[in-house]
Amino acid sequence: MTQPAITAENLTYSYGQLLAVDHINFDVGEGEILGFLGPNGAGKSTTIKMLTGQLLPKEGRATLLGMDVARQPKKVQTQIGVCFEFTNLYETMSGIENLKLFASLFGVIDFDAEALLKRVGLDGRGKDKVEGYSKGMKQRLMVARTLVNRPKILFLDEPTEGLDPASAQTIRGLILEEQARGATVFLTTHDMHEADKLCQRVAFIDQGRIVALDTPHALKQQYGKRMLRAEVQDAEGSLQTREIILDREQTPSEVEALFKGEQVITIHSEEATLEDIFIRITGRGLS
Amino acid sequence: MNSQIVFALIRKDFKLYFSNRFFAVVTLLGLVAYIIIYFLLPATVNESLELGLYMAEMPPALEEMLVDEDVWFYRAESVDALKQAVLDGDVPAGYAFPDDLLTQMQSGGKVTAQLYLSPDVPPEFKEIYEVVLYEFAFAIRGQSVDIETTEIMLGPDMAGEQIAPRDRMLPMLAVFVLMIECLGLASLIAAEVEAGTLRALLVTPLTMSGLFVGKGIFGTLFAFAQATLLILLTGGLVHEPLLILVALLFGAALVTGVAFLIGSVGRDLMSVMGWGVLAMLLLAMPTFTILVPGLASNWIKLIPSYYLVDTVYRVINFDAAWGDVTQNLLMLLVYAAAFMALGVVVLKRKFQ
Repeated sequence: MTQPAITAENLTYSYGQLLAVDHINFDVGEGEILGFLGPNGAGKSTTIKMLTGQLLPKEGRATLLGMDVARQPKKVQTQIGVCFEFTNLYETMSGIENLKLFASLFGVIDFDAEALLKRVGLDGRGKDKVEGYSKGMKQRLMVARTLVNRPKILFLDEPTEGLDPASAQTIRGLILEEQARGATVFLTTHDMHEADKLCQRVAFIDQGRIVALDTPHALKQQYGKRMLRAEVQDAEGSLQTREIILDREQTPSEVEALFKGEQVITIHSEEATLEDIFIRITGRGLS
Repeated sequence: MNSQIVFALIRKDFKLYFSNRFFAVVTLLGLVAYIIIYFLLPATVNESLELGLYMAEMPPALEEMLVDEDVWFYRAESVDALKQAVLDGDVPAGYAFPDDLLTQMQSGGKVTAQLYLSPDVPPEFKEIYEVVLYEFAFAIRGQSVDIETTEIMLGPDMAGEQIAPRDRMLPMLAVFVLMIECLGLASLIAAEVEAGTLRALLVTPLTMSGLFVGKGIFGTLFAFAQATLLILLTGGLVHEPLLILVALLFGAALVTGVAFLIGSVGRDLMSVMGWGVLAMLLLAMPTFTILVPGLASNWIKLIPSYYLVDTVYRVINFDAAWGDVTQNLLMLLVYAAAFMALGVVVLKRKFQ
């Protein structure tokens, strides 16, 4: 059995009296994309800070690639890439200069900034100053900066937050490419559809605690309900909605009755979203 | 216009101003600092004439005159003591009379006297000393006396080689150049913290100590290079160039430490500029004592830049050598190391 890329054991952090992360435990396998989902202030960013050596845990420990993060932060940081929640680029420098700076900090030899910019869809804009970039371009450059050292583990904190669909899609594509290369990805996001599409497993964090951790499919199986939603036309010609819960003993007879007794206009199968499940588990939404 | 609205606006602005801790502190601190500076500066002008005097036997008539006149005398026990007093700066000048002065006077012949002078005595003062000498003679003999005076300059003779205003100002310009660089570094640090780029740097293999070393070297060498360029272009590197360069290097390290401190308290460019101007004012103060000698006394030596200013001034204008300014260099080094260490500690706390 291969060792996990990331392990968190009783990881805890508090800001004064406020317990931001409360004894959380999880691990992430090599090449896995783990979605870390939760509302603002749930403890996602604090967890990332502890995992990446920016904060020392008050209790517990984090291990990356078999190395204790608190004891060997700099050794760990050579192997990871961190994309921050907020844009923190050198605005008065060009895109290429930003990338080359970080490549030199990581000691990357023969760094091809142009190729990396092309991967994030910024080819031709590398020599422009970052202050002239749009938000989407800056975010793509942030992701590119995360990749300069070909990290074994990527930490992406809300990488698609507030982006246009094209930029968001570019970043999702990059995440999958990195996974295909063998990188492990720790992804925090508000976007449940994104998590559903990209992540092998998702963890729900609420008030500093992990309240659920499993594959999206398993969570839906466990907490969601599948149903058929049909639009039917009644005798007066107006449209009515009918819902039939699936996976029950009486489901077949209900479906048969629907088609025999009603004039079905449209019919769709539906399953619970991760957001529905989050609300069901925590009693509150993500935003 | 509704006066209540105007009053409400003024009240709001007042609140906003003082809710900004930087403006509140700088306003109060500045006010206090300016008041302190005002009271530290001399409140009176010294109009009395200071003069040393060696005379084997003091005639009673002269003794009586010295009490009455508005001249402060230092009575030396010997010629050597008089010379030492002039050399030490206790008096700017001193007359030594021969032991047989009274005999010479009584014979009606020519009287000889030696005037020992400090090199920075302005020519107009020499005329005053001459007048005083004739007054002495008149007081002793009751009539004019033919006196022959020999002037002896103790230390480097600057007669006819007065220091040009621009040479007096050169140390000040050097301090300003260093301080401008200090402001630049401080604003860079504050901007890095504000923009979050520092966080990005610190999740790379770059260590905190590496960061400080990098910024320290950048700040010191950049400031040093600019100050060196200034001195070089103004012809200040002719005499003891290595000595000047060492002093500038220590000075550059000092202002880099100050920049770390300013960068740790400044949140944005405006606050950095505010704190920076305050620091610049303090560090520039020793230069004013060169522009206006006698402006301040020993307390000015508490300001670290004094040792840079004094060294540069003395080497450039008085051809001072290593031995003359060793103490200055040591003090400057100690101050630079202390400010650098303090700046690193404070800034590190901010980064963490």
